[in-house]
Amino acid sequence: MKSEVSTVMKIETLSRHFREAYRGVRRNAWMSFAAISAVAVTLFIFGIFLIFAFNVRYMAAELDKQVAIRASLAEQLTDDQQLQVLKQIQSMPEVKNAELVPKEEGLRQLKAQWGDEGTEIFKGYEGEGKNPLPDLITVEPKDPQNIKAVSERVKSVEGVNDAVFGDGVTDRLLNLSSWVRNIVLIFGLGLAILAAFLISNTIKLTIIARRREIEIQRLVGASNWFIRWPFFIEGAFIGLVGAIFPTIIVLSLYQVGYSILGAGEVASILKLMPILSLGIYVTLCIFALGIAIGTLGSIISVRRFLKV
Amino acid sequence: MIEMHDVWKVYPNGVEALRGIDVRIDQGEFVYIVGPSGAGKSSFIKLMYREEKPTHGVVLINGVNVKRVRDWKIPHVRRKIGVVFQDFKLLPHMTAFENVAFAMEAIESPRRKIKPRVQEVLELVGLVDRMHALPSQLSGGEQQRVAIARAIVNNPSFVIADEPTGNLDPENSWDIMYLLEEINRRGTTIVMATHNKEIVNTLRQRVIAIEQGVIVRDEIGGEYGYED
Ligand SMILES: Nc1ncnc2c1ncn2[C@@H]1O[C@H](COP(=O)(O)OP(=O)(O)OP(=O)(O)O)[C@@H](O)[C@H]1O
Ligand SMILES: [Mg+2]
Repeated sequence: MKSEVSTVMKIETLSRHFREAYRGVRRNAWMSFAAISAVAVTLFIFGIFLIFAFNVRYMAAELDKQVAIRASLAEQLTDDQQLQVLKQIQSMPEVKNAELVPKEEGLRQLKAQWGDEGTEIFKGYEGEGKNPLPDLITVEPKDPQNIKAVSERVKSVEGVNDAVFGDGVTDRLLNLSSWVRNIVLIFGLGLAILAAFLISNTIKLTIIARRREIEIQRLVGASNWFIRWPFFIEGAFIGLVGAIFPTIIVLSLYQVGYSILGAGEVASILKLMPILSLGIYVTLCIFALGIAIGTLGSIISVRRFLKV
Repeated sequence: MIEMHDVWKVYPNGVEALRGIDVRIDQGEFVYIVGPSGAGKSSFIKLMYREEKPTHGVVLINGVNVKRVRDWKIPHVRRKIGVVFQDFKLLPHMTAFENVAFAMEAIESPRRKIKPRVQEVLELVGLVDRMHALPSQLSGGEQQRVAIARAIVNNPSFVIADEPTGNLDPENSWDIMYLLEEINRRGTTIVMATHNKEIVNTLRQRVIAIEQGVIVRDEIGGEYGYED
């Protein structure tokens, strides 16, 4: 019974805080609009960055999955000898998995990668003796970081002509992304601080407009949190509204880009992240950031202008 | 109970408004604070509702040291005290009813309790029929009665008033005094600073006289004692 009463009280108080916050936004409509716009611009840039960052991570993960050493076998090996080589590689402690890919299978995979045109292009290579590909063993190292050493070791096995791997594509991708990330983060952080100060300014106006009410609240013994809450809600609300448009725009742009680049295939091996999972992450991040910026703005003003 | 032990109030500009105040006001008392202009009456009042902190010495409200009390507990100390000002300090955009209800909302009283309680205190101050009027539509005396209703709506142990009749004509002043007497009869301690000689000399109560920051007289049923 007692807890029920206090819950009812809290809901009343909460709805009161929301009303108060809404009145604050309305009262300084133009300042609020400016603050919302600043948040929106900031979050738009963050949104582009997020799409970039999420995709780089996604691609890097996809590439890591594909990290495999391709060891081409000497032409003259018999089937038995090929199996010997395979066993020898499989028994290396740093090898996770090794598989024999006969040249017929290799050709099939190649055709598949080229899609419809593949049948046309590779027609001439089918049939006994015409296939120019070597038989391969694909080797997957336990630790992708270790790929170079493993490939050296595989190369030294007798019967292996050569061993190659997708040299540093992943690394280069991640390097590039950390560069871009730093630039965007510094730029974005500056914008975020600017937006937070714009929000803090509108909160300040609300505090000034309500100073007589606050004085009375203090006088009759309102708790500090009771006095502060509406301002935090107002700031968070500005941040939240500022998050709506950038989310919609950024995701629409991505949708367009995704369909233009042909179902998300860039350079055939680099796949773009599917729109649905990306959309969820980006939306969550942008809204969380917006609310964080708004709340930060309120904190700045409440600390400076609201004495309790 | 309000206690002060060797209390000094020195403002940042160096003015010593209070210089070694020792006093004890018990529950249920009615006390006038008198003295010439600039004597330190308002400073004394402000220390009681913790608008100001003592520079030196101890102020105890119901045994709580207002200087030492943690920030988050200050509101609970303030809920024990209703404050009334010379200039009423009503919120101009709210009706009489809303002004009083505002004090209950601020301490998060449940809504269903607010309406009956506000009506009860507005009845006590004689303003039920004017409760939907804005402050600008009320006379000075009526506005002060709304302010008193707001001060007592949360059932404080003390009502502290700084020249509550200072802006009122004699007739309205007397109405306010009868109201404060009634509130006192119901058990609430009243402390009021005043320059109103006639009132102090007619409604005899305890009189504390302050001059240049020092208590120079403290007598029950005393006189105003100044010619201004
Ligand atoms: N905030 C302040 N800062 C500096 N000095 C102050 C402040 N408040 C009051 N004083 C000074 O302290 C002294 C006492 O002031 P106080 O207001 O307590 O007097 P008072 O007895 O209420 O006077 P009055 O009867 O005119 O209201 C005065 O000299 C005043 O100028
Ligand atoms: Mg004064």
